[in-house]
Amino acid sequence: MFDSMERSLTVAGSIEEALAAKHRGAAVLAGGTWLMRDPRRGVNLPDVLVSLHALPALFTVEIEKDQVVIGASVTHAGLARQLAGLNGFDAVVAAANGAANPAIRRVATVGGNLCTFDFAAADLLPVFLAMNAVVELRSIGERQVLPIAEFLANRRVFLRDSILTSVILRRDVIASAHARLPLRRAGDYPVAIVSAVRGHDGRVRIAVGSVEDVARRWISLEAVLAIEPASVSADPERMRALAAQCVDFRGRDGIEADGWYRCQVLPTLVRRAIASLSAKESVQ
Amino acid sequence: MTVTLRINGSACRFHGDPMTPLVDVLRRERFLTGTKAVCREGFCGACTVEVDGEAVMSCLRPIGLLDGATVKSIEALAPGDTALHPLQAAFEAADVVQCGMCFPGMVMSLAPFLRENPDAGRNEIKAAMVGNICRCTGYERIVDAVMNFLDSQKMEQANG
Amino acid sequence: MVDVSSTVMDLPRRDARDKLRGRTRYTNDRARPDTLHAVLLRSTVPAGRITRLDVSAALECPGVHAIVTGADAPGLHGIGIADHPLFATDTIRYHGEPIACIAAETEAEAKAALAAIVLDVEPLNPVLTMAEALAPGAPLIHEDWRAYEVLTEGGARDGNIAWEAKSVRGDVDAAFARSDVTIVESSIAVGRQSHVPFEPRVAIGSWENGRAHIETSTQVPWTVRNVTGRVLQLPPGRVRVTVPPVGGGFGLKFDATIEPITALLARMTGRSVILENSRQEEMATCLCRENAEIRIRSAVTAEGEIVGREAVVLMDCGAYGGEQVFLTTMTSHTLGGSYRLGAVRLVSRAVYTNTPPNGAFRACNGVYNSFALERHTDEICAAIGMDPIEFRKRNVLGNGDLGPTGQVFEGDVLGPMLERMDTLRANTGTLEHAADGRLYGRATALGTWFIFVGPSAATINLNADGSATLVTSGVEIGSGTMMQSLPQIVAGQLGLHPDQIVVREADTDAAGLDAGIGGGRTTVSIGAASVGAAAEVREKLLRTAGEMLQTAPKDLVLRDGRVEISGRPGSGAAISTVVAHAQATTGPISGTGSFTAKNTPAMAGCAMGHFIDALDIPVFVVHEAEVAVDPDTGHVDVLAYRVVQDVGRALNPRAIMGQIQGGVVQGLGYALHEEVTITGDGRIAQDGFETYRVPLAQDVVPVVADLYEGAPSMGPLGTKGAGEVPILAVGSAIACAVSNAIGKPVYRLPLTPPRVLRLIHDIEPRPDYPHIAPNWTDNTLR
Repeated sequence: MFDSMERSLTVAGSIEEALAAKHRGAAVLAGGTWLMRDPRRGVNLPDVLVSLHALPALFTVEIEKDQVVIGASVTHAGLARQLAGLNGFDAVVAAANGAANPAIRRVATVGGNLCTFDFAAADLLPVFLAMNAVVELRSIGERQVLPIAEFLANRRVFLRDSILTSVILRRDVIASAHARLPLRRAGDYPVAIVSAVRGHDGRVRIAVGSVEDVARRWISLEAVLAIEPASVSADPERMRALAAQCVDFRGRDGIEADGWYRCQVLPTLVRRAIASLSAKESVQ
Repeated sequence: MTVTLRINGSACRFHGDPMTPLVDVLRRERFLTGTKAVCREGFCGACTVEVDGEAVMSCLRPIGLLDGATVKSIEALAPGDTALHPLQAAFEAADVVQCGMCFPGMVMSLAPFLRENPDAGRNEIKAAMVGNICRCTGYERIVDAVMNFLDSQKMEQANG
Repeated sequence: MVDVSSTVMDLPRRDARDKLRGRTRYTNDRARPDTLHAVLLRSTVPAGRITRLDVSAALECPGVHAIVTGADAPGLHGIGIADHPLFATDTIRYHGEPIACIAAETEAEAKAALAAIVLDVEPLNPVLTMAEALAPGAPLIHEDWRAYEVLTEGGARDGNIAWEAKSVRGDVDAAFARSDVTIVESSIAVGRQSHVPFEPRVAIGSWENGRAHIETSTQVPWTVRNVTGRVLQLPPGRVRVTVPPVGGGFGLKFDATIEPITALLARMTGRSVILENSRQEEMATCLCRENAEIRIRSAVTAEGEIVGREAVVLMDCGAYGGEQVFLTTMTSHTLGGSYRLGAVRLVSRAVYTNTPPNGAFRACNGVYNSFALERHTDEICAAIGMDPIEFRKRNVLGNGDLGPTGQVFEGDVLGPMLERMDTLRANTGTLEHAADGRLYGRATALGTWFIFVGPSAATINLNADGSATLVTSGVEIGSGTMMQSLPQIVAGQLGLHPDQIVVREADTDAAGLDAGIGGGRTTVSIGAASVGAAAEVREKLLRTAGEMLQTAPKDLVLRDGRVEISGRPGSGAAISTVVAHAQATTGPISGTGSFTAKNTPAMAGCAMGHFIDALDIPVFVVHEAEVAVDPDTGHVDVLAYRVVQDVGRALNPRAIMGQIQGGVVQGLGYALHEEVTITGDGRIAQDGFETYRVPLAQDVVPVVADLYEGAPSMGPLGTKGAGEVPILAVGSAIACAVSNAIGKPVYRLPLTPPRVLRLIHDIEPRPDYPHIAPNWTDNTLR
C-alpha cells in the first residue's frame, strides 16, 4: 500500500522528462485525489510514478481573444476562480465549483478529471463536450490537438504514450449552464449531469455526464432541436418535453442509483439547464 | 524518496514511500494525532491541514508532492498554553463539541475560509462545510457558533 | 434538603478545549512506537466450511510476532444465548468474519503476512434474507443451536429463529371479529443503518502482571471484561478494561467485538498490540441497526377506538444473535406502546442469516417500530376518515392506562405533549410557502422508548482541597454526560461547583459494575449511584463538621464550598477545612452508591421471552416534520422540524438541545439518505463514505425543540436520559410527511430520491411477505 520502499516518484522538471518517464512505464500523478484511493478499491498503487506538479506551464489559464487555454495541472478551484465572470463560461465555473468538496477542488486537477478512466461522474467532461473543447496531448517529439469527444472515445489508447497538457475552449459561446444532480444537496458525485451551451450560431449543444460510463453529447436531442424553430431551445418546458422523447442512454446501475433513475431525471436536468441558460442570456 | 518540508515550523525530513499520505507522516512519524484519519477518501475532512496556506485533506496528499512545502496542523493553531484561536473559542463557548473527532478538521477547514470570507452568511458557511462530516452534532450549532465568531470579529474591527 | 436549582445550569464541557486543539488522545491515537500492529484475516464468503487453516508460513514472515485463530479462543459469548465465537473455526457464517489475526511490528508487515496464511474453504449456499432463513427446509446457520448455552431463560428458539418474544393481552380474535370495526393492515420494511462513529472499533491490549489490560473505544467496559474472560476462558477478574475518550459510539460499541483478540496477542507476544478496524472493515462489519419486516393489523371502531391489534416483526440478527435477541423484547413496548389498545398480541423474532451481525443503534428497533406504527396509524386515520392529530390525542396512553404487557402507565404525558406541539407550531408558524411549487407535506408523529436502567456503581472521594473525585465505570462517548450532568449532580449534592468534581474515566479495576453507556441510562443510573455515594459523603462531612462547630448535623447545609449553619450564609467552615479535620481524626471521607432496575411489574402471563416485562422509565417524544418533495427527481427537502421531548428534568438544557439536534439529524439520515443493501455474496454494498451517505451540513435544518419536564421518573432529581430518543420518531415523521406530500403510502425507508421517484411513478414494489403467515398464531413457536 503506502509502504513500498522501492516505489519511485519522478518530479519532472520538463514535459520531456515527464514523457520519458512515462515512456519507461511511469504512471502520471496529478492531484492524486483519485489515485490515492486505489488501495481502498483493492488496487495496488503503481510502483513507478511521474508527477507534473513542478511544471509551471501546466498551471496557467490563458484567456486570449478567441480562446481559453487551461493547463492540465490547474485545479478545479483555480479554474473556477480564473474564469469567474467570463462571458459564456458559467457552466465551466459551475462544474469546477460544484465538484466534490472545497478541499478536493483545491487539489484535483483538470487533467486528472479528464484522464481518470473509471470516473463516470466527472463534472468537467460534459461541460467540455458541450463547449466543443479540444485537448492538447504531448508525446515524445509530437504535439497533437484533437476534439474532446474523439479523445474520450479512445482515452486508453491516446494516453498510452501521451500526456494531456491542456484543454482549449473557444470563446464563441453566448451562454452556458451546468445542471448536476447529486443525491444530497452537495458533496456527492452527481448521478446525472446535463451541460448546455449556446454557441454564436444560436444553436444549443447538450452533453450528458454520469449516466453512462463516459460522458457524451446528446446527439439525438440536438438533431431534433435542429429541425425545431430556434425559439424552442430557449423554452425550458418545451426542451424538457423534447428531451423526454430522446432519452437514448443506457443508464449505468450503481450502488447509489440505478440506470432507470439516471435516465428518468435527464429531461428535468435539461429543463433546469435551459432555464438557467435563458436567464443568463436575458441578463446579457 | 527523501522529502524535506516544514511541519508546524520545524524542518522535517521524510524518507520512504513517496505515496505515503501526509496524514500518516503527521500521525505516525511526528505523533501529531490531532489530525484524524477517518475515511481516508477525502469525504469527511477530519484530516484537514493547511499546506502552503491552503486547507487540504492530508489523507489524499502524497508526501512525494510536498518537497519544500509548509504544513500546519491543528496543533500549531493554538500551541502550548496560548489562548485558543477565536474560532476554537467560539466553539467552546457555544458548547458545540461532542465526541470531538471532527473538530480539528472542522477548525482547520473553516478558519482559512472565514479569513477569506469574513462576510459569509449561513448558506455560504454550510457550503464550505460540505467536505467536513460531523456525525454527532447535526451541524446547526456549529454554524451558529461560526456566525457568532464572525459577528464578534466584525464588532472588534468596528471598535478597533 | 438539596436545592435542585443549584444543579440545573448550562455547564460547558471541560473536554472541549483539548478536543478542539487536537490534544485529546482517543484509543486510536495511543499506539506507541513499540506497539505491535494487528490485522485480521476475514472471510471472503458468506457461508462455508473451513477445511484447512495453516498459519505456519505466515509466522515466518518478516516482522510477524504471533498469530491467533479460533483454537486459541474456544469460548462462545452472546446475549441470551452463547452463539458467537471470537473467530470462525469450522463454520463461516458471514462475509468478513474474523478467521485469524496477525500481530507484527508494522501494519504493513502484518498485512503482507496475511497472504501467507493457507486457508481452504468449501463454500456453502448462503442464506441471505429472512425469507430464505424461514423457508421450509432452509439450511441451518447454526447447526448446533440446540447445544448452545442459554444465558437467559425464557425465549423460544428454533433453527434459524435465534429468539422469539411475544406478548398477548386480551382476546384479539374476538376484537377482530367484531362487526363494528374497520380492519387496517400495513406491511413495512426497513434496511440497516450504520453508525459511522468517527473513531472505529479499536483496542490496545497488553499483558501486565499476569492479567490482561485492554484500552478500548467501548461503551461497555464491563461487557468487554466479561466477554474477554469468557472467550479466553479466564476468570473475568483477570481482565482490566480502561476507556480513553471515545470518538462516537451510537450503540455500535455496546458489545465486545475485537477487544479479546488484543489480549490474546499481548499474552503471546509480551508486547502491547493495537487492532483497529479500517473504515472499510468498520462499515462492512458494522453491527448495524437491523433490517426488519413488519406486518401490523388493527381493528378500529368508527369513533377511532383501537379494539384489537396484532403484529409480526422479523428482525435480522445476521449471523449471530447479539443485541437483537434482547431487542425482541422492545417490540411489545414500541409497536404495542404509545396507544391505548383493547386486545393485543405481538410476536418478534430475531432471525439468523449469513450476513454481518447486527447490533444496537440509538433507540434501536424503537425507530422502525415507531415508523411502522405511525404510518399504520395514518392509514387507520385515512380508512376511518379521522384527522391524524385528533386520532392521536384521543388514543395516546394516559394515566392508569395499560401498556401492551399489562403495565400500568403513570401520568398523562403524551396527551399534554401533543398540546405542546400545537403551541410550538403556532409559535414557529409553518413553511408551506417555502415548498415553492414542490409537493408539500407535514406530519406529526410520536413514539415511546425507555431508559435502559440496570446496575451502576459510584464512589466519591472528598479531597483536602475541597474537591471531590467521582469514580465510576462511565465513559465519555461524546454525549457529555461525564462532563456535564454527572459533575453537576455531584456538585449539587455536596454544595460544590461542578469544576471541583474530578471525573475518573472508566477503569474496571477502580469502579464497580456498570451496564454501560447506552440506552439513555448514564445520567439516570450512574447519576443515581452518584447521589447515593454523595449521601454517604455528606453524612460523614456533616458529622465531622457538627463536632467541629458544636452544631447538630441536621442544622448544617452544604453551600458554595462551605458547611454552613442553616440560615446563616458565610457561617461554619470551608469544606476543605472539615475534610482536613476528618483526615486527621476519623480518616478520609468517601462514600459509595449503587443503583439498579426496580423491575416494574407487568400483568401475569402477558410477556413471554422478554428480558424486561415492563418499562421502569418510559420516555416519550412528539415530532413534526414539514417537507417539500421534488416530483421530477424525488428529492425530499426538509423545510422545518419540531420536537417536544419528555426529559423528566433538564439538568443542562443547552446540552440536551445539542443532543436533540444531533439525534434528529441522524434520524434524517435514516429517513432520507442512509441505505445499506446486501450484495449477492452477502456483503454490505455501502462500505465507504462515497456510497453510505450521512447528512451533510446543507442537508439539515435547525431543530426547534420544547423540553417537556415533570413526567414521572425514578431517575435522580426526576431526570430521564435525553440523548438516545431524539432519533426515535424522525423516520416516522418524515415518512408520514412525504406520504402526505406525494399522496401515496410509504412502506419503506430510506426515502432516497430514486425510491421517492419510484413511489411517485407507482413502480416501487410493496413489501410482500410470503414467509409471514396470515394467521398470527402460525408465526409463533410453541
